[in-house]
Order: sequence, then C-alpha cells, then structure tokens
Amino acid sequence: MSTSDEDSRGALRSILPPESVDRFLDACNDHGWQLLGVGTLAAVSLPLLGLEAGYFMTVITEMFLFAILALSWDIVGGQTGYPSFGNMAFFGIGAYTTAILTKDFALAFPVAFLLAGLVALVSAAVIGVVVLRLRGHYFAIATLGVLLAAQQVSRNLDITGGASGKILLQTPSGEAFYYLFLAVLIVEMGVVYYLSSTRFGFVLNAIRDDEEKATAMGFNTTYYKTAAWMLAALFTGFAGGAYSLFNTFIDPQTAYNGAWNVELIAMALLGGSGTVAGPVIGAFGLHTIIEIVESYAVGWQLVLLGGAVIVTVIGFPNGLVGTLREYASEMEYYKHGGMAAANADDAEVSSDE
Amino acid sequence: MSKATSGTETAVESDRAVLRTDGVTKRFGGLTAVDDVDVEIHRGEIVGLIGPNGAGKSTLFNCITGTLTPDEGQVYLQGEDVTDWPEHRIARAGLGRMFQETRVFGDMTVRKNLLLAAQEGGADVGNLLRRPDDSLLSRTDELLDYVDLAGLAETRAGRMSFGQQKLLEFAMELMSEPEILLMDEPAGGINPSMLENLIDYIRNANEDEETTIFLIEHNMDFVMEIADRIYVLAHGERIAEGTPEEIQNDQRVLDAYLGRE
Repeated sequence: MSTSDEDSRGALRSILPPESVDRFLDACNDHGWQLLGVGTLAAVSLPLLGLEAGYFMTVITEMFLFAILALSWDIVGGQTGYPSFGNMAFFGIGAYTTAILTKDFALAFPVAFLLAGLVALVSAAVIGVVVLRLRGHYFAIATLGVLLAAQQVSRNLDITGGASGKILLQTPSGEAFYYLFLAVLIVEMGVVYYLSSTRFGFVLNAIRDDEEKATAMGFNTTYYKTAAWMLAALFTGFAGGAYSLFNTFIDPQTAYNGAWNVELIAMALLGGSGTVAGPVIGAFGLHTIIEIVESYAVGWQLVLLGGAVIVTVIGFPNGLVGTLREYASEMEYYKHGGMAAANADDAEVSSDE
Repeated sequence: MSKATSGTETAVESDRAVLRTDGVTKRFGGLTAVDDVDVEIHRGEIVGLIGPNGAGKSTLFNCITGTLTPDEGQVYLQGEDVTDWPEHRIARAGLGRMFQETRVFGDMTVRKNLLLAAQEGGADVGNLLRRPDDSLLSRTDELLDYVDLAGLAETRAGRMSFGQQKLLEFAMELMSEPEILLMDEPAGGINPSMLENLIDYIRNANEDEETTIFLIEHNMDFVMEIADRIYVLAHGERIAEGTPEEIQNDQRVLDAYLGRE
C-alpha cells in the first residue's frame, strides 16, 4: 500500500527477480530425484568423511528424526488438510513395539523395527475410521484425545513398564541409527515426492481444498484420507520404533510427547506445508536453532518455538517454500494474459480488487 | 448392465431416460422441502428447473446426487436405482455436478484441477499411483484452449477471477464427460457478455459431446432460450412441466411467481 512498502518490494524484486526464483523452483521440481540423490550422497558420506559418533552425529540424527515426523505430519496435515495433534501416538506405538519386542521377547532389532511400522499402520487404520469422520477443529481435538489416551494406556499397563518406562541397554551403535533414520527419511521423501505427481496426490490436495466438491466428483474421500493417515502412521511408527533404542529409554512422557507434536507441526508450517522439501527444511532449520538455544540459553527453547510459530502464521502462512513459490508466481497470472484471458469478466475483477 | 437383456419397449423407454425420479420426497422436521416430485430427463435434452426461492430446487438436486437421501421415492440413473448409493458412487456412475457457488480446488493449479476431473479408471489403484499420461495432458490443453484459459494452466486456480473459475469448473465437467450434468444456477453472478459465451459452451457440450443437462436457473431469459423443456417447482411440489412457451403461458406458474396460492 504505502510507497515505502512499494519501494522495498521493488528493491527486493531487483535483487531477487521473481522470474529467476520461478526458474529455480521449477528446476528443483523437475530434478527432484537428482536433488534427492545428491542429498542422500552427501548425508551418507558425512560419517565416512570423519563425522564420529558423538554430539554432532546425535544432533544430525535427531534432525533426520524430526524431518521424518514433520513430513509424516504433512502428508495428512498439509497435503490433505487434516491438522493432527495426535501424530505422536503412532510414534509412541512404534517406540513401545520395539522396546517390548527386543527386551521382553528377545526379537532381533531389525524385525522389531519392521513390526513397529506395521503395528502403527494397523492402529492408524482402526483409529482413522473413527477420527477421520471429523473435520477441522473437531478433528484436531479428537486426535489430541487419541494421543492422551494412548499415553495413559502405556502408563497403566505392565508390559510397557508403567509410568517408570523401560530401560533398553542392548542397542545398536550411534552410526547404525544415523543410517537408519537417514534411510527412512530418504524413502519417505521419495514416496511423498512421487505421490505428489500422481492422481492419488491430487486427490489428497483436492480434499484439502474442498472435500465436498471432491466427493461430488466421484472420490470416496474416506478411502483416501485413511490411506494418507496410514502412510503417515507407517513412517511415524518406524521413527518411533528406532527412537526407543536410540534413546536407550522409553516412558509414556517421551513416547507420547505432546510438545514434540507441536514442534513438528511448527517445522512443517515454517518450512512450507504441502510440499516435500518444506517440512524437511523446517525440521533441519528449527532443530538447529533449538539445539543452539538449548546450549546457550537453557529453558528458552519452548518460548522460541512459540514465537516462531506466531511469526510464521502471521507473516508467512505458506512457510518458506510456499512464500517463495507465491513470490515466484506473483507475475505469472498477469504475464499469461491474466484478466485478458477471459476478457469478458474484467468488470468483476476490478471490483474484487 | 442388464438393460440390454430385457428387450421390451419399457427398457428402450427407460434407456432414453438418463435420469428419472419417482415420487421423491424430502422432509426437514415438519417442512416438506420436496414433495412427491417426478422428473424424467431424456438423453440429449437440456431441461430447466425453475421456481421461486425456497421451492426445493437445490434440495431436489441434493437428493439426486446423493448428498441427501430422499425420505420417500426413488432416483434412477440410466435405469438403475441409485437412491441409496453414496454420493461418490453416483458421481462415478456418470452424474456430474456444478455447484451454485463456484467450486474449484483453489490451491491446486488449473491443470491439476482438470486432471483430477478425468474419470477414466479413476478408482483403480494402478491408475491412482501412475502419473497422468500424455493423452490426458493434451486433453487438458485442448479444453483450456476451448474456454480461453490457455496459458493459465500452471496458475493456482484460486488466483483467477470468479468468471474464470466458473469456466474452469465447466471445463472440468467436460473433462469428466458425464452422462448427465446437473448445473445449479450456471448464469448466477456472471456478466451479460460472458453469459453469451456460456450459452454457446452449454449448447456445444449438449450437441457435440452429447451431454444431457439438467439446470436450475433464475435468469428467465437464459433458461427460456436454452432449455428444451422446463419443470416448475413451488413449495416443494411440481406445479408444471412443458416447453418454454407452455411454461410462460401457464397460469399456475405465473401465480407462483407472483406469490398467489
């Protein structure tokens, strides 16, 4: 509106022309597989280049973990438009599955890990049938209820070790977890990236934009929502399944961590929900900041998190990737004739403005 | 499916009726919104549905599409009883719908909106997990050209003007090639010059694509010009049926519109 605002936008445009941002984003989109390959190669080579088990490897492993969780949240929360506050329920289910199977049933970790994903998947199918009937706020509250109920169940049972949890001493090395979380993340990114260009991905986005219209077009939306929810639970379950042994300890509070659930939503939103790169970038960025704050200003990380969420929601509701994309395409509509393309409705357009 | 086997005249007759309702009644509490309404739409027709506000037109549409389930009566789509089918299954069986308020998927590109509308093999898993093939992509280009939206394929649908969104929604229906298209006030809120275009588009769809059309409309000039036949609803009841000329001269219709009982 104001001239100074116009000026600053003009300056921004000359430094960072929307067209080149557009070209850059297009290139990223077209070469998604190559980018994923390069990223994988870089991440795989880090330990070979001298990153040793210890603080930094743990931090990077946690970054992978949060990226998995944020991307899983985004399958349902961002792509399908069902913001869940209960994703951590599947994390907990996965975590307890490996903890119980390796400790009480002496199962090998790889088998227990695969079963963790499977158990989370099946739980999601059962829970999904109930909660996915709800929409918007009701869905959010119901999923929060699922999380709290799951936490309480693990507190009350004997096999989960009750409130005191389970200590797990026989665990693989730190390096093994680094590669395991990385592998899960890469596979998940590949799956989400691939799905986003298929009809299945289109239907999820359609449900987000207008579920009634999608139904009227012949899509059984319950089926798609449940599939997306199960896919998210599968990867969250894998993450949880690996986490309990990585952490060498699991209790109801860590397994079903509500604060983490908020954190991973913040990551997805900050990075840009509804995209593949957004939640991953958000998770890497926010986790780095949280680690720094934890080292230098202990106790302030949640304040920072809250602040970051507020700033994002007000200033960049589309997140980093979404804001860039919007900026890049801002001129496109007009460039391609925009209003002139359907010249007959000029009148309405100008009255809209 | 079995209609070919019963080779009687009634089968031929019901074959011609793409859509038929038989005594459809819908009540909301004490209010009877749709009262024992029979309509029959034949292949290739453009049929109008008019009536004063609150006459039950949209409710009748909702009963046909499966958004609402009628309390009494049956809905037949191409001779098959679809009364108790879920909405998405009825849509899949060849019933397209355009809403009163324009509805497109605002955060998706124009092209993705169109790709989504293509019905072929939509429900089978293999197809869902494949990228759209070239023939679909070129079909989207054709349709965008046709409705003058070429060049906007990669634009977010929500960025376009209301009129453009309406055209996109219409193109989506062409993409899905429904047997019958239900349109709820297609002329609502668009300006006169675009109305001319819309009339052409609807006529072409009807003639070239052989789409049967059933439309609710308040714009009398528009509906009288485009419709082959018209049904009139008032207070949930069907009070008249006939050609535009017959309807214009029907005393009950005039009374209903002037508020006389």
